[in-house]
Amino acid sequence: MIELRGVTLTYPNGTRALDNIDLEIGKAEFVFLVGHSGTGKSSLLKLLYREAIPDAGEVIVDAIRVDKLRRGKVAALRRNIGVVFQDFKLLTHKTVWENVAFALQVTGARSKDVMRQVPRALDLVGLSHKSRMLPGELSGGEQQRAAIARALVNNPKILLCDEPTGNLDPSNTTEIIELLQRINLKGTTVLVATHNQAVVDRMRRRVVRLENGRILHDDERGYYFRGLGQSPVLSG
Amino acid sequence: MDWGKVQFFLGEVYANFTRNAAMQLTAIGTVAVTIVMLGTFLYVRETLSSFGQGILKQIEIAVYLDDAVNDDQAKSLAATLAADPRVAAARYVPRAEGLREMRQRLGTDFDTSLLTANPLPNAFRVQLRNADDVPAVAATIAKMPGVAKVDFAADTVTKLLRAADVVGRVGLGMIALLVLTAAIIIANTIRLTVFARRREIAIMQLVGATGTYIRMPFIAEGIIAGVAGAVVAIAVLAIGETQLVPKIAATLQFIPFHVNELQLAGELLLVGAAVGFLASWFSVGRYLRA
Repeated sequence: MIELRGVTLTYPNGTRALDNIDLEIGKAEFVFLVGHSGTGKSSLLKLLYREAIPDAGEVIVDAIRVDKLRRGKVAALRRNIGVVFQDFKLLTHKTVWENVAFALQVTGARSKDVMRQVPRALDLVGLSHKSRMLPGELSGGEQQRAAIARALVNNPKILLCDEPTGNLDPSNTTEIIELLQRINLKGTTVLVATHNQAVVDRMRRRVVRLENGRILHDDERGYYFRGLGQSPVLSG
Repeated sequence: MDWGKVQFFLGEVYANFTRNAAMQLTAIGTVAVTIVMLGTFLYVRETLSSFGQGILKQIEIAVYLDDAVNDDQAKSLAATLAADPRVAAARYVPRAEGLREMRQRLGTDFDTSLLTANPLPNAFRVQLRNADDVPAVAATIAKMPGVAKVDFAADTVTKLLRAADVVGRVGLGMIALLVLTAAIIIANTIRLTVFARRREIAIMQLVGATGTYIRMPFIAEGIIAGVAGAVVAIAVLAIGETQLVPKIAATLQFIPFHVNELQLAGELLLVGAAVGFLASWFSVGRYLRA
């Protein structure tokens, strides 16, 4: 589903964000992308939805060479990828329902489809009863669930989450991670960038660890730090 | 027709429009002022040009003959004149007819019965196909035997029209500057809207809205501003015409006022829409590269 081959990304200021990355993620996999801030997690996600273009290497998403994609084709790619951020990026003057519907409406969806798919997405994240509320009236966890509903309303094959629990307390964090897991079980490939060690260590899913723009380790059923014994006293 | 989609789109345009209502009014006002100027200019130009053309059509070369010239000589002169391809018509006016015409023209302003003798010479009235040829033809005729004097007003008129043309060009240049100003103000307004809606735009881009789709409400906003300005301008011009033209026409009876108002209004609407479209197209194109 996702494949990176020898990918290198340099920022305009000369900093190397990613350095010769090779990574393969299969269909319906659940992968944690971990590492300290500034190790290239967000950059890697940006490559996948073509917010960034690599200097070298190949980026393949759902059999499409994203790094060679013409500008006119980016919209079609993004309809296949849901993206969730730490700061939710909800429109504050629109209700939850309108926020979710917006993602369909701006892609020119028929209103019939909007009426059918928005309730389904809201139901999936458990926000049907708050669909008429504004984001400001919701808790952080609820806002993130609304954002996830928006990311999923198009039925994308891939869900990218950039620090989805960064602004949430532990109970909301658990709620969101469990929601992401449920979404994954329905067949969506889920890639979660996080530096929340507790979450990663509890879940025991595939863990790809980045450091200084390189993959430090890539373990099935892994931990935030490779092997519990190497885990430092401080936990994130 | 998917009314839900239409409703959503109109909602987006409305949201754009109301984000910068004050700026939007400025844009509409500028467009209105510009188009009032343009409309007035076009109206005056059309009136003057039909006035000028009318005069040019009537322009004749008056050819006065020596008293010594007899009728046969006059006829051969007529044949020479008629052979010239630039000449449309040449009419012989014997002195008696000339006097009759003069009496008619002057009416009671001048008591021609006071005249003891006919002071007029025999003459030709020569009309040309093209007013531009008047000076050259007049010069040729003046050299013909038996011609005492050649008279024409075309020179003055063409000079006037040429001056009017220069004034028109300058006016058009100034109006072009005004149009540019209006376009820049619209572009600026759209840019402010784009900035005010950058979060929506970012999300649209994220969820896979096409560049065209994202631009559409902004383009619509620009066109609406342009058309609204034009409508205001046309209303002002219409009021101006009904108030002013009858008064001017009463004083200056020789000026013909037959401007095609509907066509002019259509053209002004088109100008407004085009200015709004182009301004927003460039503005949004620069800021919304997907």
